[in-house]
Amino acid sequence: MNYRLLKQDINLKPFMTMPPQFNRKTIVMRTDKVYKCEIINIVELTGLEKLFHLKILDPVEREIFSFRPGQFIMLEVPGFGEVPISVSSSSNNREFIELCIRKSGRTTNMLHRAKKGAKVGIRGPFGTSFPMEEMAGNNVLLIAGGLGLAPLRAPLYWVIERRDEYRDVAVLYGTKEPEQMLFTYQYEEWEKVNHVKLLTIVEKADKDWKGRTGLITELFEEINIDPDNTYVIVCGPPVMFKFVCNHLDSLGIPMNRMFVSLERRMHCGMGKCCRCMVGSTFTCVDGPVFDYWSVLNLQEAI
Amino acid sequence: MIYKVITKSEFKKFINGLIKENQTFGPRQVDEDINGKPIYQFREVHSFDEMDLDYTVTYSSVKNFFLPFREILSRYTFQGDDWEQSLEYRVNPRVIVGLRPCDINGLAILDKIFIKGAFPSPYYLARRNNTFLIGMDHEPLEDCFCESLNHHVVRHGFNLFCSDLGDRYYLSIDSSKAFNFLKNVETTEPTKKDNEKFIARKNFIERSFKTRVEVTGLPSFLDIEFKSPIWKKWGDKCLNCGTCAMVCPTCYCYGIEESIDVSLKTSRKERFQYSCNIVDFAEVAGGHNFRPLREDRLKYRFYHHYRGFAENAEEPICVGCNRCGRACLAGINPRDVINDLRLESKDELPAT
Amino acid sequence: MKYLGIETEKVRIGVFDFTGCEGCELQLANKEGTLVSFLDLLEVVNFREISSERGDNYDVALVEGAISRDNEIERLKQIREKAKVLVAIGSCACFGGVNYLKNRFSMENVVNEVYGEHKVETRRVQSIGEVVKVDLEIPGCPVSKEEVERIVVDLVTGADIKFPKYPVCIECRQKLNTCVFDLGKICLGPITRAGCGAVCPSSKVGCLGCRGPAEDANYDSFRQIALDHGFTAPRIEEKLKFFNALGAALQK
Ligand SMILES: Cc1cc2nc3c(=O)[nH]c(=O)nc-3n(C[C@H](O)[C@H](O)[C@H](O)COP(=O)(O)OP(=O)(O)OC[C@H]3O[C@@H](n4cnc5c(N)ncnc54)[C@H](O)[C@@H]3O)c2cc1C
Ligand code: SF4
Ligand code: SF4
Ligand code: SF4
Ligand code: SF4
Ligand code: SF4
Ligand code: FES
Repeated sequence: MNYRLLKQDINLKPFMTMPPQFNRKTIVMRTDKVYKCEIINIVELTGLEKLFHLKILDPVEREIFSFRPGQFIMLEVPGFGEVPISVSSSSNNREFIELCIRKSGRTTNMLHRAKKGAKVGIRGPFGTSFPMEEMAGNNVLLIAGGLGLAPLRAPLYWVIERRDEYRDVAVLYGTKEPEQMLFTYQYEEWEKVNHVKLLTIVEKADKDWKGRTGLITELFEEINIDPDNTYVIVCGPPVMFKFVCNHLDSLGIPMNRMFVSLERRMHCGMGKCCRCMVGSTFTCVDGPVFDYWSVLNLQEAI
Repeated sequence: MIYKVITKSEFKKFINGLIKENQTFGPRQVDEDINGKPIYQFREVHSFDEMDLDYTVTYSSVKNFFLPFREILSRYTFQGDDWEQSLEYRVNPRVIVGLRPCDINGLAILDKIFIKGAFPSPYYLARRNNTFLIGMDHEPLEDCFCESLNHHVVRHGFNLFCSDLGDRYYLSIDSSKAFNFLKNVETTEPTKKDNEKFIARKNFIERSFKTRVEVTGLPSFLDIEFKSPIWKKWGDKCLNCGTCAMVCPTCYCYGIEESIDVSLKTSRKERFQYSCNIVDFAEVAGGHNFRPLREDRLKYRFYHHYRGFAENAEEPICVGCNRCGRACLAGINPRDVINDLRLESKDELPAT
Repeated sequence: MKYLGIETEKVRIGVFDFTGCEGCELQLANKEGTLVSFLDLLEVVNFREISSERGDNYDVALVEGAISRDNEIERLKQIREKAKVLVAIGSCACFGGVNYLKNRFSMENVVNEVYGEHKVETRRVQSIGEVVKVDLEIPGCPVSKEEVERIVVDLVTGADIKFPKYPVCIECRQKLNTCVFDLGKICLGPITRAGCGAVCPSSKVGCLGCRGPAEDANYDSFRQIALDHGFTAPRIEEKLKFFNALGAALQK
């Protein structure tokens, strides 16, 4: 007489011996295993934002990890929390990734206190990306508000590295105050070396500010947009992209050529925790990159 | 599927055999409410007689055996300025006896999300693989409406299912484990008469439902009624207490909490069941809340349950057990809310 | 621990009690399994329950109890001056607690009633926050040791301290408790901030709201539910007032 149930371990063999491959969605894997990274450099950008260079320590894992512009990773600070952060570097850089992080809560505050050499974990990459290949042969317009410039650096690098494949490239960037401008040290290079037209604007000037003052939509008056051959990527707070996209729509840019990146609360990145839902859509799996038509079709997106 | 028939006394022997060799859970009365009605939960049992297999339904679903309310996803050990992560997916085998069809169908829905969807969960899978499930049919309660969603019958997702034929059970065997275990006791092939009785039993149960909720076309309905005023009406009552999601067999969303132990040597990353009714479900850093109002949050729960998400083929994930309705202090229950919504839209939309 | 390159430092604490039962202080010395580790995080410079030392060089002052006498005000102000962080622990310190019941009577009656012949000077009960600035409130009657441990770890590591925003019901249902409303009792769980592990409902006693309100608590609906369950309006108000923790509910 035997009634004993045998312990049935899930077959971990296929993935115990190799690091998780988060870009493969359908295999069982150690979903919560992180790639251990070392913070190899920290750049202070503003009072609130720092740029972290993260190097995956294990060479095999580093080899496996690759991402596309627009994707994000889950950054784990063991003991304190895990947060979604867009990758802000070139997808060609296989040595380290750059994350531009604003100090805004429990996990990010801790991270801002971390020193060079500290170790953190990442999972990912997750989510959809910008259709960079589809944009080739066209003008590319990147519009960012505030911290929105961080995720736009990945597509910008992509375009810069393949500059010949794209026509006019422009970046419109607006912040509240001049001191909130990110990556100012790169502007000259973008303009002079990479032939990117860069227009900046602030809502509230200080005494040293010599540039434009006003809302980001005012920058549209200074550029020519060819609605038939332009792809647009917009990143910023919801109010901003609503205004911007409406304007672009009125210029005649097809909605499926405008892309936005949505931000929601996230606890898994894998379509499980439901925290990132917009209507019936997972921001983490079906997004964060959506074309504007999809956004208009999502309940509660804006 | 293989079918057999077993006498109730043999069945008892069978269950006691399982109990002896494995950790076993079954329905037990835990309390009596103020009106004298028994309250049942799945609890550990050590003999057949500790269970009450003629019970109505458990207050809370079996979900928490597979998605524990709190579960450690990984641990970190700190050494100097470095750390190591450790993960574990092992659970000990266990048996759960007496699941109702809604419990089993709830698990079948969770399977779609946690095993068949994107990024299958090893935690869930380990628990699912190591749990032996014995289901049982029964006469529905007054307020059960699983039949409206076609979840009153089971198709898969269990090891063994028992239909009550009076002095015997008609067994549906859906796993080799169950088939082998049954070799320990005496079972017979169903006769033509048994089959007739089995069908009669099924029909009888189907006819016994007193509550019906009209769910056809509900997904598109919910899209259209997203701004309906009935949400405010019900939202005003809602306590945002999350009770509904805790007792529900299919609510699965969660939060993550990390904490360092007092020794400062280790830390835990814990998953805990959450609910979209809770105030900060969609709140992000900086304090912006994507669903600031009670009605937004309540509506969202219905939206998820009756519209369904791409993960599970955009089908409703509600199985119609009305556990949420029974547990909700504010009297919010799917039947009334959906009926309200339907009435509302009848007034609004031209009849076609 | 030297993690992320951040050195952790022991927190120098002083523990002070005012009018209260000292139950919260006792809680701090509770939970033997982790007590040694817990005390390892601290440098106790002033704590009657566990040491005889009476130092003044504390960074964090844990203040227990409410204010009910004039001389307490002076003492509290001195503590406030010395402490970098002042933490009110327990419902008495945070809200006035059970002591607040006293304020419903005239002070003269209270003195006669309680102390009879031996008259003591007394005053209207106040929470710590009504007298001095409080940096952090840890509510509970008594406070939960788990929560205190978590907060001390956060203080030591310098992480932001967070409290659950949801109500006690979540924790209660997660324990598979039978709702005490079903047992014919009233419970403030649906409007009270979680974090206690639903201790009261777990022993079939209705929650009394000692931890203060959950975020966006729905008082109107709660009152209606209690009425529907057959509790009278005065009885409901009585419950809501018990710890004086649900201030917002009473303002209505
Ligand atoms: C796709 C995506 C990309 C992002 N990219 C960046 C980036 O490049 N740089 C950057 O500085 N920030 C980015 N954010 C926002 C960043 O995730 C939040 O600032 C961060 O989660 C705050 O966590 P915290 O623990 O410091 O704050 P707390 O408020 O303490 O957060 C607690 C928890 O809530 C969740 N949470 C809180 N706010 C957010 C939020 N805004 N979005 C998602 N989850 C949240 C997290 O899971 C977090 O662990 C991104 C968010 C998303 C969704
Ligand atoms: S519907 Fe009922 S059970 Fe659910 S959160 Fe609202 S009040 Fe609580
Ligand atoms: S309905 Fe709400 S509580 Fe239930 S699983 Fe969906 S998001 Fe979570
Ligand atoms: S919902 Fe259906 S299966 Fe569940 S208890 Fe009710 S009748 Fe039984
Ligand atoms: S929503 Fe309610 S009726 Fe539907 S499955 Fe969940 S608890 Fe049962
Ligand atoms: S006993 Fe109290 S805390 Fe528990 S579920 Fe009922 S009302 Fe909520
Ligand atoms: S982040 Fe968990 S579902 Fe999207």
